[in-house]
Amino acid sequence: MSFFGFGPSAEVDIVLEGQDTRKTAEIKTEDGKKERHYLYYDGETVSGKVNVRLKKGKMEHQGVKIEFIGQIELYYDRGNHHEFTSLVKELARPGELTGNASYSFEFIQVEKPYESYTGANVRLRYFLRVTIVKRISDIVKDSDVIVHTLAHYPDMNNSIKMEVGIEDCLHIEFEYNKSKYHLKDVIVGKIYFLLVRIKIKHMEIQIIKRETTGSGPNTFNENETIAKYEIMDGAPVRGESIPIRLFLSGYELTPSMRDINKKFSVRYYLNLVLVDEEERRYFKQQEITLFRRADRKKGHPDNTSKVTPGTQKLGDSTQ
Amino acid sequence: MPSTPQLSPTEEQEKLLDEALAVVKQQSFQMKRCLDKGKLMDGLKHASNMLSELRTSMLSPKNYYELYMAISDELRHLELYLVDEFQKGRKVADLYELVQYAGNIIPRLYLLITVGVVYIKASELSRKDILADLVEMCRGVQHPLRGLFLRNYLLQCTKNVLPDVEAEGASESETGTVKDSVDFIQLNFAEMNKLWVRMQHQGHSRDKEKREQERRELRILVGTNLVRLSQLECVDLETYRKVILPPILEQVVSCRDPIAQEYLMECVIQVFPDEFHLQTLNTFLRACADLHKDVNVKNIIISLIDRLAQFAHKDESVGIPSEIQLFDIFSQQISTVIQNRPDMPPEDIVSLQVALINLALKCYPDKTEYVDKVLETTEEIFNRLNLDHLEHTTAVSKELTKLMKIPVDNYNNVLTLVKLEHYGPLFEYFDYTARKGISCYIINNALDNDTQIPTQEQVDAILGLVGPLIVDQSDQPEEEEDPEDFMEEQGLMGRFVNLLLADDPDQQYLILNAARKHFGAGGNKRIKYTLPSIIFGAYKLAYKYKSIAEEDEKWEKKCQKIFSFCHQTIGALIKAELAELPLRLFLQGAVSAGEIGFENHESVAYEFISQAFSIYEDEISDSKAQLSAITLIIGTVEQMKCFGDENHEPLRTQCALAASKLLKKPDQCRGVVTCSHLFWSGKSKDNNGEEMRDGKRVMECLKKGLRIANQCMDSSVQVQLFVEILNQYIYFYEKGNDQVTVAVLNQLIGKIREDLPNLEANEETEQINKHFQNTLEHLRGQMESDGESKYEGLTL
Repeated sequence: MSFFGFGPSAEVDIVLEGQDTRKTAEIKTEDGKKERHYLYYDGETVSGKVNVRLKKGKMEHQGVKIEFIGQIELYYDRGNHHEFTSLVKELARPGELTGNASYSFEFIQVEKPYESYTGANVRLRYFLRVTIVKRISDIVKDSDVIVHTLAHYPDMNNSIKMEVGIEDCLHIEFEYNKSKYHLKDVIVGKIYFLLVRIKIKHMEIQIIKRETTGSGPNTFNENETIAKYEIMDGAPVRGESIPIRLFLSGYELTPSMRDINKKFSVRYYLNLVLVDEEERRYFKQQEITLFRRADRKKGHPDNTSKVTPGTQKLGDSTQ
Repeated sequence: MPSTPQLSPTEEQEKLLDEALAVVKQQSFQMKRCLDKGKLMDGLKHASNMLSELRTSMLSPKNYYELYMAISDELRHLELYLVDEFQKGRKVADLYELVQYAGNIIPRLYLLITVGVVYIKASELSRKDILADLVEMCRGVQHPLRGLFLRNYLLQCTKNVLPDVEAEGASESETGTVKDSVDFIQLNFAEMNKLWVRMQHQGHSRDKEKREQERRELRILVGTNLVRLSQLECVDLETYRKVILPPILEQVVSCRDPIAQEYLMECVIQVFPDEFHLQTLNTFLRACADLHKDVNVKNIIISLIDRLAQFAHKDESVGIPSEIQLFDIFSQQISTVIQNRPDMPPEDIVSLQVALINLALKCYPDKTEYVDKVLETTEEIFNRLNLDHLEHTTAVSKELTKLMKIPVDNYNNVLTLVKLEHYGPLFEYFDYTARKGISCYIINNALDNDTQIPTQEQVDAILGLVGPLIVDQSDQPEEEEDPEDFMEEQGLMGRFVNLLLADDPDQQYLILNAARKHFGAGGNKRIKYTLPSIIFGAYKLAYKYKSIAEEDEKWEKKCQKIFSFCHQTIGALIKAELAELPLRLFLQGAVSAGEIGFENHESVAYEFISQAFSIYEDEISDSKAQLSAITLIIGTVEQMKCFGDENHEPLRTQCALAASKLLKKPDQCRGVVTCSHLFWSGKSKDNNGEEMRDGKRVMECLKKGLRIANQCMDSSVQVQLFVEILNQYIYFYEKGNDQVTVAVLNQLIGKIREDLPNLEANEETEQINKHFQNTLEHLRGQMESDGESKYEGLTL
């Protein structure tokens, strides 16, 4: 920010409270790189200190403030950022700083309703912004934090079970043990072949992420295949049942997001794809819900994370 | 575009394999390097790359196997490394999960198996659960070839870690019992078998043979499951009966694939112990009945029978448990199998009976009723199938022949054979040639084993059995049989008669009578071979009576009866337009009668000799035959002692007369000369059996001989006769016939000396000369040893 030698006359630094012990998380930037920031959860207090270090002897200002901002940026509408959270604390009234200053701040139990997200067309970010208001140009310092939304285990988590097929050609019944998975979960299921009259070459499960932005006629859908996982090699015959076990932790996934602030959604689908010897593809998509489960360390109950062999045995719902 | 040279399919395959092996070599090298540096994740990555080669669909099963072997060798490095690391305590958390991130199923599952086994060896996680998981996850590979090898890898890797205990141990990781191992292998087996069977239905139907060949090459992969099951030490009979065998059989039966069924049933027989088989026969055999119609079920059953028969033989102490009705079970199950398979070729049906009969003979050597039962069943089947007069060249006839020969070979006793009620009736189903073949086989067996046939019933039974050797058959071919073969067969029968021996002479008589009836029906061709044996047997019997004369007061009557039996039997030979044979038999009879000396023997002997004369006169016309016949008659009369003058006189006169009536001069000469002996050493009862020594008559005969010789035109023959007569003179001279003088000898020798050089020099002359020289040599010898007194005046 140093133009023509007129650099900012002060450096601003935000130190979060408990920084040494706070967990960090990674997030992709728009250009695909990964950044690491401190991690917060909904309702957590965000507090800390703002340190202002003067470069010259003194500095006049029209006031110093810190904001906690949650905003959604749609890439096709760069000018407009939709802030869904914006909290302000005044750190200093207009006056003159004669030396380095340090201000404590605290946003008590801040609501952070959404998860930080960087997608193909949209980005949801949280950041702290310190502004030293000046007559000509304000001194502004942003500092991103990452928010993870935690979800408890859903009360209802039925298996997904469905019979699909093409008449007189292929009939299969597939079953995924749940409809809602946490991000480190394992998808267990099986495919049961009721009728096979085509020569299948192989079968795979794909995880497809669909990001929807905009609304009405301006809706954009962006599909991305996150995972391709071969679950069967060769042609089964009638009566075969093929096991599925897919560990989600190996993939970059986010929780499912629905209509976030009426701006965007992120949905996940399991796509079962059968390919026959003529390279024809038969598929069936099924939406699943992904959620972020609190780490065990946080004291959240752990139902089923440890994956041991035998997990593919489905629960009672299969019987 | 540059044209690439067209590769043959084999070259193409080699090229593909070489390429794949090159990748394996490279990736495994990288893998090992990473492992050496402790970079496990990179190592796994290279392992996965290497394993990706196994995803190919291009290689033939044989080459895929090569590739698989190369890769599984390399995977052993990985396994050893991991086991080592685990033992050192450097565990990699969640490795079992990590390897499952691999996107492709083939590398993923190979790695999962490798890691799973490492976990078991390192006692991480539950052994039981890992095994169950691995075998289940392998379902993902439905491609037959790739699936078979993957599951084979699973089987090989888990070889030494399968739980083999009755009850679970205390250790948390050493979970599982032998039951879990059984489940594990059974599931793997069923899946592998399904994949193997599925290969059959892939691809074009014109490649069927090639495919079947390929499948046969792969069968060992499936069979290994059964081997593994058999290696579990905790499997006892109960477990085998309840949880091992039934699922295997169910899988085998339900797959409805002939190749699989044939191989796997055989496999079951071979890999599991005989003790188990014995206790599960019904189950196993019932499954046999349900196999595909193209399955050669007979081979399976035969294989089982052979094993059990061997087992029964192996060790006396073990043997077949008495509570197991081995024969009944097999008999019943085999009949079910046959019923279930209306298309089964009859030769296969017979093969089964062959196996059954072998079983009966090996396991129950004493129970002839079992053998008979098999024969009965066979007969029923043939009856039902409406088969008869099977051509001897057909497979079924050959099989049935085999069946018929087994009891012969096993019992080595025709007497046991005829006890089998259903043996004879089966003959009806053969054609003539086959019947005759078996008949010969039976007779040869009796001869080889010197089996005596002691009762009339048995004689009737056996001779009834071997009918084709005894009498003409209605289905006999029109054309004449090979005379040499025929002679040989009938020769056998002639020899066989000698085995018809009862201990009791009366019984023996009945036997001979019975045999006579059978053989008598044999027609002119046959009786000349068979009846003489009977006649000699009868003569022998007469001697026997003579030897027990003191015990049997009716012996003379019996002898008479025997001789009249012989007379009549020889008569049959005459009716068959035979001459020399009956003549000789009569003469032999005369000699025997004379020697035995029963009441009335003289007239019997006289009758026999006169019969011989009749034959001589009526039937023998060939001059050579005449000479030899008359010589025989003369010889017989000469040695007989039983005649009084009243009978002897006409006989010797008749001999002399007949001899002088011979057509050719040389024959006449020889005949007449031979007669001389009748007058010298002939014996008459009136002379107390002493030799007659009628020197004058002898001289007359010899002189007559010389006279006839002189009439011979052929000088060579003439000289030959002279030499022969000289020998006769010398004989009588030495015997002390005073009618023969040295002067006569000198005269004859001189005559020969004179004529001999005039003969044409040839081989014949040579012989005559030799004969003559030998004669002179003899004389010289005599003169020297006797000190010249006897042959005084002889000029040599």
